[in-house]
This record gives sequence, structure tokens and C-alpha cells, in this order.
Amino acid sequence: MLSINNLHVNVDGKEILKGLNLEIGRGEVHAIMGPNGSGKSTLSYVLAGREGYEVTAGEILFEGRNLLDMSPEERAWAGIFLAMQYPVELPGVNNMNFLRESLNAIRKARGEEELDAVAFMKLVREKAATVELDDKLLKRSVNAGFSGGEKKRNEILQMAMLEPKLAILDETDSGLDIDALRIVAEGVNLLRSPERSIIMITHYQRLLDYIEPDFVHVLADGRIIRSGGKELALALEEKGYAWVLEEDAA
Amino acid sequence: MNASGSNWVLDLLSRDSMPAPVDWVQALRRQASDQAATLPQPRRKLETWRYSRVETLLKASFTPVVQAPDISGQVVPAGISPYKLVFVDGWYSESLSHTDGLPPEIRIGSLREHLDQDSVRKQLGQLANAGENLFTALNTALLNDGLFLEIPDGLVLQDPVEVFYLNSAADTPQLAQPRNLILVGKQASLTLVEHYLPGQGRGYFHNGITELQLDAGSRLSHYRVQDEASTAWHLSQLYLEQDSGSYYHGITLSFGAHWARTEYKTGFRATDARCDLRGLYLVGDGQLSDFHLDVHHDRPACQSREQFKGLLHGKGRAVFDGRILVEQIAQGTDAQLTNDNLLLTRDAEVDTKPQLEIYADDVKCSHGTTVGQLDPQQLFYLRTRGIEKKQAVHMLCEGYAGEIIDHLHLPSLREQATDRMRQALERI
Ligand SMILES: Nc1ncnc2c1ncn2[C@@H]1O[C@H](COP(=O)(O)OP(=O)(O)O)[C@@H](O)[C@H]1O
Ligand SMILES: [Mg+2]
Repeated sequence: MLSINNLHVNVDGKEILKGLNLEIGRGEVHAIMGPNGSGKSTLSYVLAGREGYEVTAGEILFEGRNLLDMSPEERAWAGIFLAMQYPVELPGVNNMNFLRESLNAIRKARGEEELDAVAFMKLVREKAATVELDDKLLKRSVNAGFSGGEKKRNEILQMAMLEPKLAILDETDSGLDIDALRIVAEGVNLLRSPERSIIMITHYQRLLDYIEPDFVHVLADGRIIRSGGKELALALEEKGYAWVLEEDAA
Repeated sequence: MNASGSNWVLDLLSRDSMPAPVDWVQALRRQASDQAATLPQPRRKLETWRYSRVETLLKASFTPVVQAPDISGQVVPAGISPYKLVFVDGWYSESLSHTDGLPPEIRIGSLREHLDQDSVRKQLGQLANAGENLFTALNTALLNDGLFLEIPDGLVLQDPVEVFYLNSAADTPQLAQPRNLILVGKQASLTLVEHYLPGQGRGYFHNGITELQLDAGSRLSHYRVQDEASTAWHLSQLYLEQDSGSYYHGITLSFGAHWARTEYKTGFRATDARCDLRGLYLVGDGQLSDFHLDVHHDRPACQSREQFKGLLHGKGRAVFDGRILVEQIAQGTDAQLTNDNLLLTRDAEVDTKPQLEIYADDVKCSHGTTVGQLDPQQLFYLRTRGIEKKQAVHMLCEGYAGEIIDHLHLPSLREQATDRMRQALERI
């Protein structure tokens, strides 16, 4: 599904990703862990197509297509979704309208009919309930004045509406209390399917207690330095990152 | 430029041959005419004209419209209210207007037809002093017609009153000068919607003046949509005075014209009044929008809110000059001014100048201005959700402008304004 080969990325002339390789198969859940500043968010932005990230070498293939040739919206149409570490506030843009424009754009790209107002409302209500997002937040401006937890739940709501093939969750767990974490994790688990791949970027083992990954990777200094099963996460939790970094340096 | 008057205005004045309909107006005119002849010509050296490119206006030649113009072929837009008043070149057109069904106690229509009213005689020119500036003097010196609206004490009108200013087809550019007088009685309440439209006109100069008096406890929602011809010049000067507990809720949307300037000059007669001034301007290639506020807090415990937002594209130019003066006596004043500008292109340009002058110590006042571009993060966020760049830009612009448009309490007007904005954005 997704194949990243020898990816080098500069930001402001500084190399952040330094030869990253990653293979994600259909329906797989991958966790990417790593110290602060190691390049995790950079990877997620490059996958989503944000400007200002200069790819100096390597390639990214998504279902055989060259992702780097595609605009952010084309990637969304192709089925890529990024739940951001810091969801952006859009003052004046109504959340419901935003969801509707977004869903209809993606349905159009998939060759599906636009949803009429009634069907759309029904779907939104149903999905909002799965992440326990208050209806009132649907009537407000996107993320504006939302609490941290509300923003994250709003991201998962969007993901549930858009039904991507590949979801990238960048620290969706950070800043959540235990109840919010449980709600968000349940929302994600509902979306697990053999057709949907998930990349979970996280700092903590905590999230992995709720969403069990098939694979765990350690990203440090712009490269994946170790990959394994979920036991790797447990080892990291126990011993911290230091031992992986040391072994990698050796 | 000569300091002793302007040839431009003298030329305009020399061409008016029609006498005033009544003696006291004739006297008012003559006095204004004398003042117009001695007032200095606006020029960039004067602070209030510094950024406003007024020279080209003063080089253009206009023909004053000294009698009711030909209205054949004028089409008045459908409108949102059962009551509409139509002015062509500043002259009231009874046949195009529709006022049936309005409560008979309301006095409304042509100012010219109401010159015998005591209230008109007493109030006309009270706030808009012809000696103040050349354009007020010019309007007064050629005073012919305009909107007169007097709402008696206690009358609350639910439906809005809608006014259309149109222009006639003419071989030479016309000077249209509606002179409006609006008197809102104690505890009365009204929504007034004004549209400034080309009609059949091109290249004309709309030099309008509105004097507004709000008596104690009254409320006026005053919505103005300036959508003049792209070759037109538009100047609106609004003079407002409010009595205690009154509420003026004013919004101006500035979309059209080659050159458009709106001036609000507001004052209070007593305490506890509230004045909200809001505006949205959208300018592109070949357009200048200019807002000047002169909010005078000269009574205690009054509140004012000034919120103006601009959307500039192409080579659009805008000026915002917002002055709030809080006199020593005006303790307990609450005044908040903001001006935000969103520049969609590098070539767009805005000059913004907020001025707070405060002589009282127990006040709550603030001002803030911003000039910025669309936030790339916001654009990116929308695009990652499958929304195309152009559409994303529109959504963000609409969201931005919505902060002003949402204050219009008439849903159909909100829709009209949003559609109008979409149209303009579609072209960029
Ligand atoms: N826009 C940017 N400009 C400059 N440096 C950046 C920018 N974004 C990220 N970086 C730098 O790139 C490195 C990786 O950041 P990031 O991908 O956010 O790490 P992580 O998500 O793993 O904490 C850090 O050193 C950070 O300071
Ligand atoms: Mg990060």
C-alpha cells in the first residue's frame, strides 16, 4: 500500500529525514515511536503534502502511484488522511459545512454521488456519537476554541466520515486525559479494517494499550533505526529509547 | 494648489441654475456656497486625505443633476422588504418606490417634499456643518433632494425599509448628491437597508450625506451595501448623534466603485448610548476603499464598538483611519476598535491608522489592527481534507468576512452579501 524508500527531506535547508525506509501493507497498523524532534511529524507532513518540505532523495509510492507528484487534495482523494498533532483552527468556517465540503469532495473523487442534506446529517450525528463529540461543536467554527481533547476527537470524526485507505495519526494521544484517550482509541478501533492501514505516531506506550499495533518502529534522527512487533513498544516503555540509540550507534 | 478655494468646486457651483424650492433652503445653500468657495481643496498634504488618491477625483468633470432625471428603463432589484424607496441621481422617484402599507405615522420619502416640516427645518444641517469640508459644502450648496425618514416616538417597525440609490444614463458623468435626514423618535426601532448601485450610470460621482438623530432609547439597525459601478466615485458621509440609551447598529459593506470613501462622524447627546460601527471592504484591481471614523465620546458611560475587516486582492488599495476621541467628561466609556486586513496578493496595499485619544481616566478602551495573508497552515489543513485550493481560499475568505456579515440580522441580506463576495472571489 505505502512504500517509502530512502527518503531524505530538508526543512529550511536542514536535513531532517535522512534515508527513511518504511513498508506498510493493506490493513496493517504500524506504530512509529521516537524521541522529540526525531522527525515524526515531518514524516507525516511529507506524506500529506505540506509545502516547505524539500525531498532531496528517495521516493514514496502509494498504491503504486508517486505520492510526491500529488497535491495535498489529490492525496486526500486517493485515500490518505492525516490527523494532525496540532489541528488547525479555522475561525468563521462552520464545522458542519467543512465536513460536508470535505466529504463531498472526496466522494466526488471516488465517483460517488454527493450526499443530500438529510443523509449527511444522519451520518455526521452517527459518527459524532462514536467519538462522543457534542453536537454543539458541529455548529461552531472548526476547532476554534475547542479544548485539546475536542480537537483530537474532531480529527477522528473527520477520519470516520472520510473513510481513508491510509490514516496517519500524529500524536493523537498527546494531551488527552485517560477518558478522552479511551474515547479516541475506541473511535480508531472502530475504523480498523482489513482495507484500512494506520500509522500511529506516538510518544507513549499508553496508546498502544488501547490500539494494538501489528508493527512498531523507532524513528530517531531521521531514520527508522529499529522495527519489531508490539513487544518492542513494551521494551521501550521499560528501558527508554537510550538502549536502542546506543545499539544503533554501535 | 491655491488655499483660497477650489476651482473644481467653483466650476460645479457655477453650473447650478435651479433655485431652491423654499427660501430657508436657499439661504442654507447660499451660505454653503460661500463656504465651498473658501474651503481648501482636499489634497494629500492634509492628514485626512493622505492615502486616498483624491487628486484624480478633483480633476474629473461632473455635471450636477439639478432636476429630477429621466427614469425610463431603470430596473430596481427585487429587494428583501415590502417597502422600498428609490432615488435616481439623488432624486426621489415615486413611481419606482413602494411605500404602501407603512404605518401612516411614519414620515418617509422625498426630503424635497418635506421641507415644510418643522423637524426638517430644525434639523437639516445641524450635524453636517457645511463649513466642515468641501464635500459637505458642495452637497449643501446644491441641496435638492434625498431621503427623509422620521419615525415617531415608540413606533417599532418589524419589516426593514429598503432604499436604492441608482444612477441615470448620461453622456457626461453626473454628480449625484442625495441629502438624507433620518430622525428616530424615543423608544422607536427601525431597520434601514441602503443599496448603492450603478443603475444605468457610469463614471458618476455619488456625494451623499446622511444626518441621523437617535432619540432616547431608540434603536436603528442601519445596513449599507455599496456596490457602485466599477468606474464610479462614491463618498458617503454619515453624521450621527445619539441620545441616552439609544443603540445604533451600523454596518457598511463596500464592494464596488473605482474609488469609495465612507466617513462616520458620531457623537452622543447623553449617557448610556451604544454605537456599533462595522464594515467589510473587498477591493481588487483599480479599486480603492477608504473608511474614516470619527467617534466622539463626549458623554459618560457610552459604549462604542468599531470593527472593520478588509479583503484585498489584485492591486486593490484600502485605507482605514479610525479615530476615537474620549473627552475628560466621558468617564466609563467603553470603546473597542479593530481593523483586520487580509491581503490575497502581493500587489494589494492597505494603510491602516487607528487613533485613540483618551482624556478620561476611568475607561475601557482598546484598539488593534492586523495586516496579513491567508494562513498557509489553514489552507493546508483544508486541502488535506480533499478541498481544492481555490475552494479552500474561498472558504477561508468567507469565514473571515463572516465575522462582519453575521452581524446583519436579516438572513436574506446575509445571503446576498455572501453571494456578492463569492462572485468577486470567483474572478480572482
Ligand atoms: N517548519 C520548520 N522549520 C524549521 N525546523 C523545523 C520545522 N519543523 C520541524 N523542524 C525541525 O525538524 C526536526 C523534527 O521535527 P518534528 O518532525 O516535528 O519532530 P517530532 O514530531 O518527531 O517531534 C526538529 O529538529 C524541528 O526543530
Ligand atoms: Mg511531532
